[in-house]
Amino acid sequence: MLLRRLITVSVLIVFIVLTSYTITALNVLGELPPRGLRPLALWFLNTSITPWLNYFSAMAPETVTAIVWDYRGLDTLFETAVFYFAIIASIALFRGIEEKRGGGYVGLSKIVRVVSRVLLPINIVVAASIAIHGTITPGGGFQAGSAMAVAPLILIIVFSRFFLKEKGLSKNLLIALRGAGLVGIGVASILALALGLLSGGYSFIFQNQPKEAAPTGLPPDVLGFPIAGTLFIFNICEFIAVFAGFTIIFILLSIPEDVAREALHGEH
Amino acid sequence: MASIDLYMFTFSIIVISMIVNLAVSLYGVLVKPNIVKKIISLTILGDSANTFAILVGYRATYPVSPPVQLNVPPSPSDVSQLTGLSVDPLPQALVLTAIVIGLAVNVFLIFLAIQIYRLYGTLNMREIARVKGGQHE
Repeated sequence: MLLRRLITVSVLIVFIVLTSYTITALNVLGELPPRGLRPLALWFLNTSITPWLNYFSAMAPETVTAIVWDYRGLDTLFETAVFYFAIIASIALFRGIEEKRGGGYVGLSKIVRVVSRVLLPINIVVAASIAIHGTITPGGGFQAGSAMAVAPLILIIVFSRFFLKEKGLSKNLLIALRGAGLVGIGVASILALALGLLSGGYSFIFQNQPKEAAPTGLPPDVLGFPIAGTLFIFNICEFIAVFAGFTIIFILLSIPEDVAREALHGEH
Repeated sequence: MASIDLYMFTFSIIVISMIVNLAVSLYGVLVKPNIVKKIISLTILGDSANTFAILVGYRATYPVSPPVQLNVPPSPSDVSQLTGLSVDPLPQALVLTAIVIGLAVNVFLIFLAIQIYRLYGTLNMREIARVKGGQHE
């Protein structure tokens, strides 16, 4: 046992020493911290919003959003799909566990409930603001959805998990919302393609702004607000999808243990 | 010169502390028998890697700005000013993707852990192996 522990600690120390030496002394990751920018970063910063180079530009003032949903859009689509599959798998694991409403839990004290009622609208407004301003400020669909998911979490703890259901936010509705968000992302990814085909020209999947051989694109701004074409739609749909996904997880995790055990052992 | 050396020394300390973090979390994932501790170690591993990616994308100049164009529509001088001040946006975008995927994996692992606890009454991997082994004998 002692020998085993000794070997483990030695391996860890060797790992730390070798990795530290290669990164700090041999500079395998390049100069750290870098003083300049890598050529790829220069390309992204130079083209994220450049109206005079519109065939290369994503027309989004926020470069990270431009990379996430335009330059690397397909990557993000599959990332959303991974999250979706994780939620589906979690629902499948917890299948058949449904709790009937009993007496018992009536939520936290009145002070907490009143304060929550005041704070929740602010939370929702902030989340919506992060989603809507995703193209011009740091943030976007995922961050907004995470912020918005705090609201149902507070509702579950402060009021009870039945409160959400009584207000109409059931698990099935949330699964539908999650699906709707994903469908929205799917539609936005082929929007320019559909427009291009209808106008008889060329265009491609995940196209946002016009390209040299595919002149169809979506407007970079609406009434002076930079929406960066499809990026605004992606952010809003991702916001809905992530909010619904998180809420499903919180609802499933709030099922009392004795109810789940009863359902599980009933199956066997 | 001395100040640059101090700067590099501090930076090296940060890098090494992150590598120690990685090593400790690897230890947790590989050696600890409790599934919850394994999951916690896995999140620390992911977060350390993400922080390291952000650090690689940082820029050792002053002043430094986030990769956001504030003047819309920008002029060529605005764009060159942004490229002169901004940090690398690509690691931030990749880390955002990594966070979402890490979150998805963690959600699934947590649900699996709860299910394992309900079925076996323990989260200790060695105990579970023993119980399962006993069933097959």
